[in-house]
Amino acid sequence: MDAFSHLMGGFGVALSPQNLLFVFLGVLIGTVIGMLPGLGPISAISLMIPVAFTMDPVSAIIMLSGVYYGAIFGGSTSSILLNAPGVAGTVATSFDGYPLARKGQAGKALSIAAIASFIGGTVGVIGLMLVAPSLSSLTVSFGPAEYFALMVLGLTAVVSLSGGNVTKGLISGTVGVMIALVGIDSQTSVLRFTFGHEELYEGVEFLIVALGVFALAEVFAMLTRRGQGAQTGAISSLRLNKREVKEISGPTGRGSVLGFFVGVLPGAGATVASFLSYSLEKRLAKDGKTFGKGNIKGVAAPESANNSAAVGSFVPLMTLGVPGSGTTAVLLGALLVLGVQPGPLLMTEQPDMFWGVVASMYIGNVVLLILNLPLIPLFAKVLKTPQALLLPLVVVFCVVGVYGQSFSTFDLWLLIGFGVLGFLMRANDFPAAPLILGVILGGLMEKSMRQALLISSGDLSTFVTKPISAVLLALAAVSLLAPVFGQLRRRRRGRALPQDDGAGQDDPDEQGAKVDANVTRP
Amino acid sequence: MHHFRFTQRKLAVALGILAVAYTVQAYRIPEFTAVETPVQPGSLPRVLGLVLFVLSVALFFQKPKAKEESGPVPKPKPEPVSVSELVSKPEPPGGGPVGQQSAPPIGRFSDTRLELAALLAAIGLYAALFVPLGFVLSTALFVSGLAWHLGYRRHAVNALVGAGTALGLYFVMSEGLEVALPMGLLPF
Repeated sequence: MDAFSHLMGGFGVALSPQNLLFVFLGVLIGTVIGMLPGLGPISAISLMIPVAFTMDPVSAIIMLSGVYYGAIFGGSTSSILLNAPGVAGTVATSFDGYPLARKGQAGKALSIAAIASFIGGTVGVIGLMLVAPSLSSLTVSFGPAEYFALMVLGLTAVVSLSGGNVTKGLISGTVGVMIALVGIDSQTSVLRFTFGHEELYEGVEFLIVALGVFALAEVFAMLTRRGQGAQTGAISSLRLNKREVKEISGPTGRGSVLGFFVGVLPGAGATVASFLSYSLEKRLAKDGKTFGKGNIKGVAAPESANNSAAVGSFVPLMTLGVPGSGTTAVLLGALLVLGVQPGPLLMTEQPDMFWGVVASMYIGNVVLLILNLPLIPLFAKVLKTPQALLLPLVVVFCVVGVYGQSFSTFDLWLLIGFGVLGFLMRANDFPAAPLILGVILGGLMEKSMRQALLISSGDLSTFVTKPISAVLLALAAVSLLAPVFGQLRRRRRGRALPQDDGAGQDDPDEQGAKVDANVTRP
Repeated sequence: MHHFRFTQRKLAVALGILAVAYTVQAYRIPEFTAVETPVQPGSLPRVLGLVLFVLSVALFFQKPKAKEESGPVPKPKPEPVSVSELVSKPEPPGGGPVGQQSAPPIGRFSDTRLELAALLAAIGLYAALFVPLGFVLSTALFVSGLAWHLGYRRHAVNALVGAGTALGLYFVMSEGLEVALPMGLLPF
């Protein structure tokens, strides 16, 4: 009952006219940005951070989380209409959503996406409400050694679960931590890696890295694609019949629950959740063969899972202060700048904040539904923005975002540098999420490492003799080794069964490719 | 994107050089002696430099995936498709996206590298002129100029969008959020 009264208090916070407006704006802006091909939640949140900085912290986080799930939903719209997922998390949606759209059932696919997202989001919020308080009471006892171990786990989990090459992911993460250490050392005031540039004394603002590596790099990538996938389609009726509602109820329910738990795990998140849910339903369904040819279950499953996972990923962020994904890492960065330190104490010290966000998620979900269903045809017009015009506009938003924060042209050059870096990373399959996570966690990691070693008077074994810290570090090691073993096993199995359909579930990229390869597009 | 793909070995060597340079730099960070601390400001950077070096060595000796080195591939496996590639996948011939013909590709040069260099130069010019010209002028010029270069044909709309974005953002930032953007040549 305690949680309930807190929640009511939270609704009080979230329902204030001002915050209601911010939820609305956040969801709306997030949906629009998320719809633009290539721009996902990370870009959307990064672009909105300069605006959030001027607001009061509670309203700011409410708006930014609105942007987050708005962007995820918006991404599914462009997946369905254009086969151009703006976000990795909605790639799975395009497998069946786009074939549906080609069959002239875009409207149906979109309303299934909206309904499944709504249910997924709501289940996620309920889960967050139930899990977060107990988890945070457990983590109150965390000392610096445990935090250090937790952050190591967060980094390695993002590396291993984001799929692809683990070595490349670790390199990204290491470089990210390196970037975080630039500037005046907070404890000893020693200059590190500033190369005589006064502008670097304060370190590299994470926003510059985020905007450069994600948004600006996407601009370069857009240009190399020559604007492919920038066209729009017509939208038919949005209605579903009873049979269809019944058909999607199972996948939606399972997807929501699965998505939440995947989202809670550090490192997993919307992308993994949506692929897992998609392949689960493909296996469960009697008509599994028609997945990829426009089966409505193939839209409902990933959509419910990715929204639920998006909410689930708030659990580690809010209770541990350790983000589980690139997107929540950017959110954490924003919170830190706003002067809010998420963690186990957040709930006791700033219950308004925590429960306000939870309540605003409920409201955000409702807004998402009532806003999106009627406005879908209108939103689709956004997709008509020619890329020749869109591209310079995104650059301008990046530049304004960076300049408005620091008023320094030097930072604009840094932004361009990170844009080039992000593009090269992408061209060579280096994941960007570990980099941004490293940038955000780097400073915190060093701080907790120092505190832990100060307490143990320099004894490094403190990280492995404390039970919780030891377990977390062991998990980190396992998370790195698991994909390697998975690959070995797959290779052996692949030799025995040439056309193995049931790909290992720990490798979303590879799995995505396999699912995709099975899709025979008309 | 293939112009910007490097072999795994080349990447590993570049990263290895970076790691060595970083580690050397990390050893030049002065020790902090005023108070005794277990962790020197240079400690973590040195560890990181070492970690990066080890990782680049690992990358060097790792077997690259089939698509990177065109060696003999025993079995044509479906290529792992990264998200960006998935997005960039050209449409199957015959059926464009739902109900519409495809738009002309953006850009003027046939060589993507040249096009990217042009974009980079344009952004660089924008950054360089941001303060001297002021936000409104530089932004309007950048948006309209780049959109024109990329092949946006409706020039009136283009000019309007450029000027509108510049003025609109300027107004929102300076009035609404009280962020002072550079005024430059214009008197407001």
